[in-house]
This record gives sequence, C-alpha cells and structure tokens, in this order.
Amino acid sequence: MSATARLKTSNAPAPLSHAAMPLRSVASHVARSATSARELNGILRLLTCGSVDDGKSTLIGRLLWDASDLYDDQRATIECSKLAGKSGQPDFSLLLDGLAAEREQGITIDIAWRYFDTQKRRFVVIDSPGHEQYTRNMASGASHADVAIMLVDARTGVKKQTRRHAAILDLVGVRRVVLAVNKMDLVDFDPAKFDAIAAEFVTLTKRFGFTEAIAIPVSAVHGDNLAGRSAHTPWYHGPTLLDHLDSLPSRVTQAGGAFRMPVQTVLRDGLDFRGLAGTVTSGDVCVGDRIVDALSGQSSRVLRIATFGRDLEMARAGQAVAIQLEHDLDIARGAVLSGAGPEPVTATSLDVRFVWLNETAFDPMANYLLRTATDLVPVAKLTIEALLDLESLETRPAAVCAMNDIALATLELARPSAVDVFAELPQTGCVMFVDALTGASVAGGVIAAARAGALARDRQAEGAFVLSRELLAAGVCAGLGQSAADRAEFERRAHEVAILFGAAGVAVSLKI
Amino acid sequence: MTQAISHLDLLESEAIYIFREAAAQFRKPVLMYSIGKDSTVLMHLARKAFYPAKPPFPLLHIDTTWKFREMIAFRDRTAREFGLDLITYTNRDGLERNVNPFDFSPSVFTDVMKTAALKQALDLHGFDAAFGGARRDEEASRAKERVFSFRASGHRWDPRRQRPEMWNLLNGRLGVGETVRVFPLSNWTERDVWRYIQREKLEIVPLYLAAQRPTVERNGQLLVVDDERMRLNPGEVPLMQSVRFRTLGDYPLSAAVRSNASTLDAVVEETLTAKTSERQGRLIDHDQAGAMEKKKQEGYF
Repeated sequence: MSATARLKTSNAPAPLSHAAMPLRSVASHVARSATSARELNGILRLLTCGSVDDGKSTLIGRLLWDASDLYDDQRATIECSKLAGKSGQPDFSLLLDGLAAEREQGITIDIAWRYFDTQKRRFVVIDSPGHEQYTRNMASGASHADVAIMLVDARTGVKKQTRRHAAILDLVGVRRVVLAVNKMDLVDFDPAKFDAIAAEFVTLTKRFGFTEAIAIPVSAVHGDNLAGRSAHTPWYHGPTLLDHLDSLPSRVTQAGGAFRMPVQTVLRDGLDFRGLAGTVTSGDVCVGDRIVDALSGQSSRVLRIATFGRDLEMARAGQAVAIQLEHDLDIARGAVLSGAGPEPVTATSLDVRFVWLNETAFDPMANYLLRTATDLVPVAKLTIEALLDLESLETRPAAVCAMNDIALATLELARPSAVDVFAELPQTGCVMFVDALTGASVAGGVIAAARAGALARDRQAEGAFVLSRELLAAGVCAGLGQSAADRAEFERRAHEVAILFGAAGVAVSLKI
Repeated sequence: MTQAISHLDLLESEAIYIFREAAAQFRKPVLMYSIGKDSTVLMHLARKAFYPAKPPFPLLHIDTTWKFREMIAFRDRTAREFGLDLITYTNRDGLERNVNPFDFSPSVFTDVMKTAALKQALDLHGFDAAFGGARRDEEASRAKERVFSFRASGHRWDPRRQRPEMWNLLNGRLGVGETVRVFPLSNWTERDVWRYIQREKLEIVPLYLAAQRPTVERNGQLLVVDDERMRLNPGEVPLMQSVRFRTLGDYPLSAAVRSNASTLDAVVEETLTAKTSERQGRLIDHDQAGAMEKKKQEGYF
C-alpha cells in the first residue's frame, strides 16, 4: 500500500476533484479532451474469464479507473469505498459489480455490457457471470468478443477450468487471448513463478485455434502493468495490458477474405431502384464487380452502392449498404451475395457444433428452425452425434443433449440455404437453433462442414399426410405469384403448416 | 492495410443492421418517438437504413400533455419535413381523471400517462415490434438488456423469456402473444449520441441549447416554468437564467442545468467533458429505489 493511499483513509469526505485524488487517474483528463475532437479508432469487445476469486471485476475496474473517461460521480463512489474498506484500498470492482448488484434479475443468461473510452478507442466489456450455468453464459458472451482476458492467480496458476474456458472461447470463434497472471504482488513479483505459468498457458493454448496468446504479469489492485508499466517487474519486457489491447485490430478491420453480403431486405424506390440491403460481413465489393447469388446461381454486376446522402465506389466489411445490380436478379431475404472468389455452399446438410442454451433439453420430436445470417430454414432432421467434455476435450457418443452441453451434430435442412464454414467466414458460418413453436433460441453453434445434396424431405413415414403444392396453392398460399419473394413466402407458409401439423401429432410429408 | 472504421461508423452500421432485421422479421413495427435527442438519432438512423425508400413504419408519440411546448412544435415539424406518419396517443382515462405531475407522484403519473398509454397504443394498432432509443449504458438495469427484448402478453417483461443473443444473429420469431421492443442504440453511450448529432448536423429541440429561461429551484433541482400550469410554492419566484437540458421529458419532471452552451458545438464540448452521468437530471429515477427496474417490468420503454 502506498503512503498516499494510507493518508486518504482519514475520515475526511472524498474530494471530487481529480487534483486531490491520491490515486492517479493516468489518462482520464487527456482522454476527455482528446475524444471530444475526433472519433475513436474502432471498437474492441473484451471478455474476462476466471474464477470468482481471481479478481476479474477488480482488474477491469482498475483499468477503467486508470485509463478511461469515468464520470466524477462514479469516481466518488469508488473513493468512498476506500473509507469503508479495511485494506485502505479502494474497491475497484464496484465499477463492474454495480451492475451485478442491480439485484439478480433472474435473466436467462445474463450478460452485462459496459462501455469505456481510452484515448485511442472504444472498449466494450462483456461481463458474463458464472455460477452453475457457466458454459452457456460464457459461450453467449464470448460470441461477441474480439479478445478474451483469462485471469489466473499467480499463487495457483493455470487451473482445470482455464482449459474449459479456452475450449469455449475457441468454439465460438475468439481468436486472441491474453493471460493476466494476477496478484503478482502476493508472490513478490517472482519472475520464475510468472514464467512457469506463462509456459503452461502457451502449451495449453496450442491445442486450440488461437492466432495470438500472450501472458502479462499484473496486480489488478495496485495497477501493475495495466495502464502503466510496473516498477516491480523490470524483468518483464512485454506490453502493458492497455498497450496490448490498444494495439489489437478491432474485429471488422481484420475481416479480409471473400466478399459476402447476406441480403436482409429488398428496398424499392419508384420504378427505377431495387436495392439489395445488407451489411458486408467480409471482404469488399466495388461498383462494376460481378456478383453471384449462390442460391439461385444467378449473377450480375454492381451498378450502384447506395447509402444515405452519398453513393459509394466500394463497400467493405462492416458497412451497411444497398446494392443495385445491372440486371435485376429476383432475390429475396436469405440470399448471400458473393463475388469472384469462392461462393457460399448451397447446403442441405451440415455438421455443426453448438452449445445448448435452453432449460428445455433437445427433443427429437420437436420442430426446430435454423437461423443463419439472414435465413430461417426448417430443420428436417437433427442428429446429435457426440458431446464434448470440456475438461478432457474428448468427445463421447450421445444421442441427446441438455442445457450447457456442447454437442456435435449433423443436420439436414428442409430446403437449401447459403452458408459458410465458421472457421473461414464466421459471420456467415454461425447459427442459432430456434424452437419453431415457442420461438425460443435454444442453441447457438458454428458450422464445421456444409454439403450440397439431395433434400431429406422424401423420408416420409408410413401413412403420413401429404401436404402437396396443389393443396397449399388452393388455400393457404392462394394469391402468391412466382417472384422470389412470393416463392419464399409459399415455402414459409408450407413449413409453418407442417410445424402445426407436427405439433398436433400428425405425421406430415411436405411435397412442394 | 485498410484504414480502420471509426467507432461511430461501426455503431451506425450496427443500428442500420438492427433496423433492417426488425423490419424484415416483424409484421407491423413502429418507432417510439419521444422527441428527445436519442429519438432524433434513432429516426435519422431509420431514414438511413431504408434509403432511398422511406422507413416502412410510422412514428408513435405517447403524449402525456406535459411535454414542453417547444417539443411538440419540433415533433410536428420533424414528421412533416421527413414525410413520416406520426401517430400520437394520450391516455384518455388518465386525462379525464386529471392525472398530472403535481397532484400525483412521479411514479403514478408515469405509470398512467406513459406506461399504460404506451400499452394501449400498441394494442390499439396491433404493433408487434416497437423501436426504442434505450441504451445499455444509461442505467444499471439496462446493462443486461437485449437488442430484441421480448414482452409476454400484457407487455410484461419476463426475465425468463429473454433470449440469448449470439454473434450478430437476431431471432425475431414470436411466440403466441409475444411482442418485442427493439433497441438499435443498445451499444451507444450518451457521448456517442452527442458526437453523432454533431457529425450528422442533426437538428435537435432548442431546449438542449442554453438560453434565458424562467426557473425555480426545488429540492436542489432546477425546474423551468413552461406554462401557466406550473404550480409555484409559497415564496417561489421564477428567476431568469441561462439553462439547458441534458435530457428531456415532461416539463415539471425534467431538471435543467445552468449552462452558457448556446450552440450545438458548445453543448457537445460540455457534454464530453461532463463530470456526472446524465440521468441525475431525470427526476423519476430518484423517486423510489429500483424505479427503473420496476417500470421496465411493467412495460415502460
């Protein structure tokens, strides 16, 4: 504990001005005046994982305190915590736990979001509290993260659950991890202790698909190697945590690869404009480029890239645009536009890894829908093959799965859908499973393999009621024409009718 | 090496993506328009999302009849200028019972004239999705809010029914009786809203800019006397001084701050260097512990 910190434990009320603060808030003044003038360099979403005692909230709280644009009322709260506490140290964790303490709301899978700006960029802290439902909470939170900070206690090092966390991060596509070896002050900043833990961590991470894994010796409570370089670790030559986070590319800027734009909706303006609206998820596209719709096999060239106020010559990953084509292709929501490079797979059969999120376990008799980037496809058959053991990282054969399970499954779709393999193009390779009756999001997963092939719809049960095109066209689908939108609507209604038949216990065979 | 996209560009793209997802997935959406700065940003983003077409949904304003007069004038001018359909709704029953912010506590007033009114309006028109300007950084109970926030029948917010959201996938398949609130500004901060208004040169209600206004100080809060309905306590004399609002609502329930920032640039500068968070100026939040949490369960916002 520093002498100045001890001085502050007098019974005087906490001063509000920064000048009087005993603990320096390194960059806050600078951050404020600088950020008012310009926009920040991208957004980095970070997730922390560790046991309750590893100091997650303290680490992030201390980072906020040292390097961000906290308001004075927030700073005052933390200052006051020092008066109450025994140690004489402020309780930095209050900056985050304030959210958790907002009385347990009982939200199914609760992730708290917190935002702060340093001089360089916006950080988003994704806080997913643990407890018994850890896997689904963490998987859900980690799916939004660009980088994960894994915390371990320098006294105990890498634990069994560190491996568990790494496996979940890997599954949902986090490619960068930082090991914060915390509480270095409690091992006298011993480099040998740190090196041993760092080595074990590197070995562990090699089993996964991470592109970057580094270890940093820190003390969250005292701020060592967080925003400022620690005087206690002259033997450490790597970056501070903040320097490292500031240097990482935000998710969008690193999205290279093949051009993809899932079509969200079609915009019309008068007779002349028909724009395919969507956000570019990877690669880029220029006016004049040849564009392919893998689902229909049609192609055309980009005539115009429209955005509000001005047209663009080029759109790249992260930009929301409306693309007008030279020849008006009859395309509806669910299509995924690609360019000259590899096209998405027009898949009818998928290998998927997913986390089961819902309290209600997988039911082989239930109807599920697959939510892809912008498509919602009825699942004809979902077969659980195995469950992944997060401790041993081994799989064991299984036919069912329940909440918090990580399952490997194959599925057949009731109609083709345009998808990618997650490892190559994450945004067009991730999926959610939707309960067709309740609408609940029951599982989230990634596509490991996608195959085109014959549809599974002819697998009819003995005596199944045949729902034919003619029957549907006569009533439920009367009035629908032959445009892409109408054909999609025909299929949608047909599947909705089949879902209701199924829920009523009637075996039905869809022949459209 | 491509140049990084700024954080405001990313937030804008994300909001447009959310608008388009909701418009494509829901049968009859509506934009909850409260006239404030967040609504101004929300509406601007909606126009961007569907450009060159118009947003495929109307604006809905819940009129408590206690908005500042300048807000109502701004509302009507904005809707007209952008050619958007504007639906206004007032809880007739509340009006007949003269539910006002002087004779009733802020929580009762809000419950009747805002929360109940909103439910009535949504039911009356059969809207299945309502866009709102709520941000996760506003208040602790909103930090866990989803982008698609589901409401059971009766507009109840049931924590058990909130759906996990992974990656950028938004599942809008409604169960029986369910409706949804959609929050395109989920990941924005108060500062982002101001920065964006400045960048996009958006017109905002003049009350956000400092001007000489008649004020009274009550319980440490500065109230602006907007019309003759304002009840003065014995000894209270309205004092002209330069004030502005950081957040706008019903006029006796919104506190002003002393300020000389009379231009947008000055307001943004003052906001970006502000020392306290914005909701201190919103009186209903101080009314009872966990007020916002409770209002949310009952269907507010």
